[in-house]
Amino acid sequence: MSEWQPLLQSIFIGLIFSYLVAKLISLVVSFKDDNLTITRNTESNSQSKKTVVLLDENPRGPEADLGLRLAHDARETESMIAELGSVRNESLPCSDYDDDDDDDWEGVESTELDEMFSAATAFVAATAATSPAQKVSSDVQLQLYGLYKIATEGPCSTPQPSALKMTARAKWQAWQKLGAMPPEEAMQKYIDIVTELYPTWAAGLSTKSRGGDDDAVTRESKGPMGPVFSSFVYEEESGNELKMDAVHAFAREGEVDNLLKCIENGVSVNLRDSEGRTPLHWAVDRGHLNVCELLVSRNADVNAKDNEGQTPLHYAVVCEREAVAEFLVKQNANIDIQDNDGNSPSENWPWMRDAVKQSD
Amino acid sequence: MGDNNSPPDSPKENPDQNSDSNPVAKDDSALETIVRKFQDSMSMSKKHKFWETQPVGQFKDVGDSSLPEGPIEPPTPLSEVKQEPYNLPSQYEWTTCDMDSEETCTEVYNLLKNNYVEDDENMFRFNYSKEFLRWALRPPGYYTSWHIGVRAKASKKLVAFITGVPARIRVLDEVVKMAEINFLCVHKKLRSKRLAPVMIKEVTRRVHLENIWQAAYTAGVVLPTPITTCQYWHRSLNPKKLIDVGFSRLGARMTMSRTIKLYKLPDSPATPGFRKMELCDVPAVTRLLRNYLGQFAVAPDFDENDVEHWLLPTEDVVDSYLVESPEIHEITDFCSFYTLPSSILGNQTYSTLKAAYSYYNVSTKTPLLQLMNDALIVAKQKDFDVFNALDVMQNETFLKELKFGPGDGQLHYYLYNYRLRKALKSSELGLVLL
Repeated sequence: MSEWQPLLQSIFIGLIFSYLVAKLISLVVSFKDDNLTITRNTESNSQSKKTVVLLDENPRGPEADLGLRLAHDARETESMIAELGSVRNESLPCSDYDDDDDDDWEGVESTELDEMFSAATAFVAATAATSPAQKVSSDVQLQLYGLYKIATEGPCSTPQPSALKMTARAKWQAWQKLGAMPPEEAMQKYIDIVTELYPTWAAGLSTKSRGGDDDAVTRESKGPMGPVFSSFVYEEESGNELKMDAVHAFAREGEVDNLLKCIENGVSVNLRDSEGRTPLHWAVDRGHLNVCELLVSRNADVNAKDNEGQTPLHYAVVCEREAVAEFLVKQNANIDIQDNDGNSPSENWPWMRDAVKQSD
Repeated sequence: MGDNNSPPDSPKENPDQNSDSNPVAKDDSALETIVRKFQDSMSMSKKHKFWETQPVGQFKDVGDSSLPEGPIEPPTPLSEVKQEPYNLPSQYEWTTCDMDSEETCTEVYNLLKNNYVEDDENMFRFNYSKEFLRWALRPPGYYTSWHIGVRAKASKKLVAFITGVPARIRVLDEVVKMAEINFLCVHKKLRSKRLAPVMIKEVTRRVHLENIWQAAYTAGVVLPTPITTCQYWHRSLNPKKLIDVGFSRLGARMTMSRTIKLYKLPDSPATPGFRKMELCDVPAVTRLLRNYLGQFAVAPDFDENDVEHWLLPTEDVVDSYLVESPEIHEITDFCSFYTLPSSILGNQTYSTLKAAYSYYNVSTKTPLLQLMNDALIVAKQKDFDVFNALDVMQNETFLKELKFGPGDGQLHYYLYNYRLRKALKSSELGLVLL
C-alpha cells in the first residue's frame, strides 16, 4: 500500500505539469500567430512601397481584450488587402453577398441597416481602442466577430485553423457556427448586441448626424474627390425687428387647436404684428387653407391691410396660392384693392377676374 | 476614425480614412469625448493614408519655403510606366467607357444619377445629364482610355467610374499639361470595397501613359493639400420652390410674400447689346478670356478650340452671353453658366432642382455686377431655380449685392504632382472644374 501513494502523487503532479506545458505551448503559439500576422502585413507594406497604407502603429495597446484585438487585426488585414488590391486580393474570401445582390443594384440605396451596421462596427472599434474600462466578455466578442464576418464576407469557407491556435480556432468556430445566416440578419444581431452593451451608442450617433458633423455622414455625402452639393446655410435673421404675438405664430404654423384657444381666450382675430399683419396674412403666406377658413369663420377681416397696404389676397397672389386666393375671393376679398405701390391682386393675376365673374 | 481600427466596411468611399477634420463635440457623453480627443490627436500625422503616398503637397510641408515650386516628382520614362492595369478585387473588371455609344453613356448616366454626390442631409443628388457628360468628357484632344469604368464580372453591370480629360492649365508663369480628374463614383453597394484608391491609381497610370504628369481635381473634403478653398454661394431664382424642397429655409419672422418679392428679377436683361454667344464670336471671346484669365495664379490656357468646345452655348449644358457694343460692334463683356440639375430625393411635388453654375465671366466695359445681374435674368427666363457661384476670380465683388447667400459647401482645389509654395486666395483662382 505504501508504494501506491507516491506513485499516485507523481502521476497527479505529472498530469498537472503536462497540462501546464500544453497550455503554455498553446499560448506561445497563439501569441506568435498574432505577431506573425502583423509581421507579414508589414512586409507586404514595404514591398508595395507607395501604394500601401501603413498597417498599424498599434494604438490599442494591451488594454483591449484579446478577442476584439484579433477581430481588428483581421479587419486590418482585410483593409490592407483591399488597399493592395493588386497584390493579394485573390486571398479575399469571395462573398456571395455581392453576387446575390447583382440583380437589384440599380437604384438601390445603401440601407439604413447598412449604415447602422457600419456605425456599430466603427463604434466597437473606437470603443475597444479607447475605453479599456468597458470590459466585454470574450464570448460576446467572439459572437460579434462571427456576425461581423457573416455580414461582410458571408458564410465561413476557410479551413479550420489547427487546434493549437486557440484564439484563431475560437474565432473560426464563432464564424463557422453561424452557417449561412443572411448578412442582413447578422448585421441586425450585431447591432442588437452592441445596443445591449452600450444602450446609448446610437443616441450619440443620431445627435451627431443631426448636427451634420458626423464623420461617416459627411464622408458618405462628400466622397473622396469631385464636386460638392451645397445648399443655403440657414442664418437666423438678424436685424429683423418684427414683433409678433403667439396668435400670429400659430396661424403661421397651422396650429389650429392653439389658434382656437387664443381666440377663445379673447385675443383679437385681427391682432396686428409690428408690420401690420393679421393672423390671416400669416396663414395665407404659409398656405394653410384650413386656418384661413377658421379665421374667416371667426370674423377675420379679409381685406385687412398690412403696413405696405397689402391684403391677405395680395399675399396669396404673390405666393401663387391659388386655392387660398379662390377661397378669399369667395369670401368677398376685394380684388381691386391697391397696396401702397398701387398694385391690386387682380392685375397680377388675370384669371381672378374671370373667377369672380363665374362665381357671380 | 483617426485610428487604424476603422473597419473596412464603413460607408464611405474615401481613399483616406479621415477626410473630415471638423473638430466638433456636441456630445456630452464621456466616451464620445474620449473618442473625439483620440481622433484629434491622431489628426495630421495619420490621417491621409492614401494621399501621403502620393506626389501631392503634404501637410507637413506647409509653410516650408525651401521646397521648389513646380513638379514634385520628375516624369519617369514612359517605358517605366506600369503597362498593365492595376488589379481589381476578383469579381470586378476594368472597362473603357465610350461616351459616343448611347448605351454606355446611359449606363454612366444611371450610375451617377443613382450614386454620385449628395448633400450632407441626403436630400439632393447631382443629376448630370447625358449631354452634359458628353460635353464634359470629350473636349479637344480627349482620350477615351481616360474614361474608366469598373464592371461586375458576373452581371457586367457598371459599378464604378472615374474620368480624366486633358487641359492646359497655367500655374503662375508655367503652362502645364494636366488631366482634370472628375466623376469618381462608386456604386453605393460597393462603398465598402475601397475601390477609390485603386481607381485613382489606375487613372493616374493611364494619364502617365500619355506622358502627362500633373492633374487638377476638387474635393469637398480636406486632403493633402488644397491650393485654395472656395465657398459656394447661391442666388434664389425660384424661392418658393427652394423653400418647399428644403434647399433654403424661410425664417420664422420672414414671410414668403416678402421673400418672393426680394428675389424678383426684371423680365429681360438691362445691358444694351447683351446677346447669346455664337460660333463667329469664338475668336473675340478667346481674346477676351485669355486676357482676363492672365491675372489669376491658376487658370486654364484656352485656345479657340477650347473656347468653342467649353463656351459655345449648348442646349441644357452651357449658356454663354456677351455684350456687343451697339456702336462699334466690339465684344466687351462675357458671362457663362453651366446647367447641372439635381434629383430631389423624397419630395412629393418636385423631382428636379434646376441649378445654373457660374462658369467664366469677363467684364471690361459693363460693370461685372450688371453683367451678372443680366446672367441671373436669363437664367430665370430659362426656368432655373437657383444660380450658384464659387467665390473664385472676381465673383466676390457681386455676390452679396446680387443677393447671393452663403452655402454650406466648401470646395477645395488640388493639384497632383505640382507644388505651390503658398496657398492661394480663392479670388486668385481662375479655374472652374465641373
